[in-house]
Amino acid sequence: MELSRRRLLQVALFSAGSAALAACGSGSGSDAKELTLWYWPAGLSDKVVADAVKHFTQTKLKPSVIGGDFKQKLVTTLTGRRFVPDITGVKGEDIASLLVQADRFIDLNTLGADKLASQFVEWKWKQGSTKDGKLIGFPIDIGPTAMYYRPADFEKAGLPSKPEDVAAAMSTWDDYYAAGVKMKQANTGASMVMDIPTIFQMVIGQGTKRFIDENGKFIGDQDHIRNAWDLAIKPIQLGIAAPQAGEQDQFTAASRGKSPSLFGAAWRGQDLKNALPDDTGKWRVAAMPGGPSNYGGSFLALPKECRNPQLAFQIITWLLSPENQARGFTDAALFPSSPAAYTLPALTAPDPYFGGQKTVEVFGDAAQKIPVSYEAPSDAAVSAPFFDEVLSVWAKGKNPDTAWTDAVSKAKEIAERQGVN
Amino acid sequence: MTNTRTTPPREAPPGPRPAAGRRRGALRTYWPHYLAISPFYVLFLVFGLVPVLFSLYLAFQHWDGIGDMQFVGLRNFEFLVKDSTFWLSLYNTFVIWIMSTIPMLFLALVLAVLLNSSVRFTSFYRIAYFIPNVTSLVAIAIVFGAVFSTNQGLINAILGWLHIGAVPWLSNEWTIKLVIAWLITWQWTGYNAILYLAGLQAIPTEMYEAAKIDGAGPVQTFFRITIPQLRPIILFTVVVSTINGMQTFTEPQVLFGGNASINPNSGGPGQAGLTAILYFYREAFSNNDYGYGAAIAWAVFLVILLFTAINWRIVQRRDKGAA
Repeated sequence: MELSRRRLLQVALFSAGSAALAACGSGSGSDAKELTLWYWPAGLSDKVVADAVKHFTQTKLKPSVIGGDFKQKLVTTLTGRRFVPDITGVKGEDIASLLVQADRFIDLNTLGADKLASQFVEWKWKQGSTKDGKLIGFPIDIGPTAMYYRPADFEKAGLPSKPEDVAAAMSTWDDYYAAGVKMKQANTGASMVMDIPTIFQMVIGQGTKRFIDENGKFIGDQDHIRNAWDLAIKPIQLGIAAPQAGEQDQFTAASRGKSPSLFGAAWRGQDLKNALPDDTGKWRVAAMPGGPSNYGGSFLALPKECRNPQLAFQIITWLLSPENQARGFTDAALFPSSPAAYTLPALTAPDPYFGGQKTVEVFGDAAQKIPVSYEAPSDAAVSAPFFDEVLSVWAKGKNPDTAWTDAVSKAKEIAERQGVN
Repeated sequence: MTNTRTTPPREAPPGPRPAAGRRRGALRTYWPHYLAISPFYVLFLVFGLVPVLFSLYLAFQHWDGIGDMQFVGLRNFEFLVKDSTFWLSLYNTFVIWIMSTIPMLFLALVLAVLLNSSVRFTSFYRIAYFIPNVTSLVAIAIVFGAVFSTNQGLINAILGWLHIGAVPWLSNEWTIKLVIAWLITWQWTGYNAILYLAGLQAIPTEMYEAAKIDGAGPVQTFFRITIPQLRPIILFTVVVSTINGMQTFTEPQVLFGGNASINPNSGGPGQAGLTAILYFYREAFSNNDYGYGAAIAWAVFLVILLFTAINWRIVQRRDKGAA
């Protein structure tokens, strides 16, 4: 949702000021008989939330959909210690920076969350936990990734087109690139790879190490990152990458058969449906080369200021029961973090956009195979130069070796600034 | 405010009043006046001055926004001087500023002269030219993003009809700056034209008549009379454009995925759209390094101060020259 949400947020920016004021107003009551819940547009199923308001009669549950920069508004209230929501959503990309502030949140294990751990995918549970085992973020949705592709364009280039055949033929990145070269030779005018930075990110997500290790040491110059870098650069060197473009442009190019494959989490399907509504039946989903990774997903957390932790925890577990997670999938493309939901009809139903494919077979399988990796609070900041430079190689044709050297030295500079060794 | 004793005492003399007691008496007398003007000052204090001073304090701290602050002295500024991205962002800001200000002020002047001579629909034109200035910048940026899109943009569609190849406007580092500069030009030309128009209308017609009698043509009149007479207004527009130009932020933020979860606010390919304020925003709010963000903001403040000083010197010299 991160990307599709952008358009919504841009529109929401018009009323950012009034939204911020409304947000402040919602938590103002000192009355313990109400609980406030913050989430962002499509962060939870609005219908499930509305049902929760009706279901919990012992309190007044006041949900607020917060537009604009969600993390910023949450951080502001946490720092101001006023109008802090009793229950709040936390985006996947922000959880690492909030885990180091664990004392500002309630350890959900003290409320009995530990007994529910087995119902959720393990890596996600760890992602919401601190190093010493406190659970801060209760899993909402996850972002298991896969390859979205256009079977007709694959067929035209003499490549397999059925999801299981594609997965088998392109189980590694090298196989996938070999298929890309074959497509190029077939002269259909299509470039296999739609987006380069995404590949860099996906390959990192397939591993167990990121840019900073658990001891707070910068490891972004090591082989695991270099390998991801090389794999991301390779399609440019092979000439099988589409020209750099913005997201909407990329989708348009894809619908014209110019770049028939992209990598994304389960929620990416919703972006496709929104951007290319006429493409029903023209896309399929296959397992990603090199195995699955995670992109996005989110959590619910209880700030220390929560006025009724027991009840708030009950509300969380109710909102995120397998049945309600399945509704979240239907209403807001939130892929369930609880595997029990994968067998429910909402997920097993064939999706006409994907030619009647049961996409949960790909995503559900991926969800349970995602490796656990440690993400430091400054991981995103330190990784930024790599994304900037890989983009430069792609868009400007910058020399990859120079770009790598620049990225490493810039990342080290940021690491030092952020207090990483 | 039902108090009726609001009329000031008749013998309120100007000048210093040393007695503290009398000053307190004045406060007692004038409090409704102070109360009446207080909303601005209270709002400015709370939302302006306090955050400004706090950001100065922050510039010497290491802070992630929630946890404890840690005093780091001048360390943030030491990083800043060495930070190539910061210098790149300043460079981008200057290039975009020059690319937008020069055509903008030139077009504004031309428009103002045209408006000044047009007899019909003057108010209509004035409103039409001013509307871009009051339109939401975010909305404009979204529209520009669509217009300059490579595969489905209006501009490339027109180029296609003319059999010119598609230009990847938002991928090349120069066209990125050009698009941002066009956006700023589009938004601010009307505003400046209205200012110039006001200036033009203040020029006495006698001067033009005298010039005509002396045999000056339209071009000579324009450069010998119109431009010198407009000089104070031109300087004002230059100062305002400088201050605005140094703070360019929303345009590149919206154009290049400010809300992306991976590497947000990067400024696009080659970081060509990374302006100084966008870099400040990225460091503080995306990367949770609020101290460093504050240091960038203060560095930008110093740059603007420098430019204001230069502008001020130019104004002074002109005044001396005229005297």
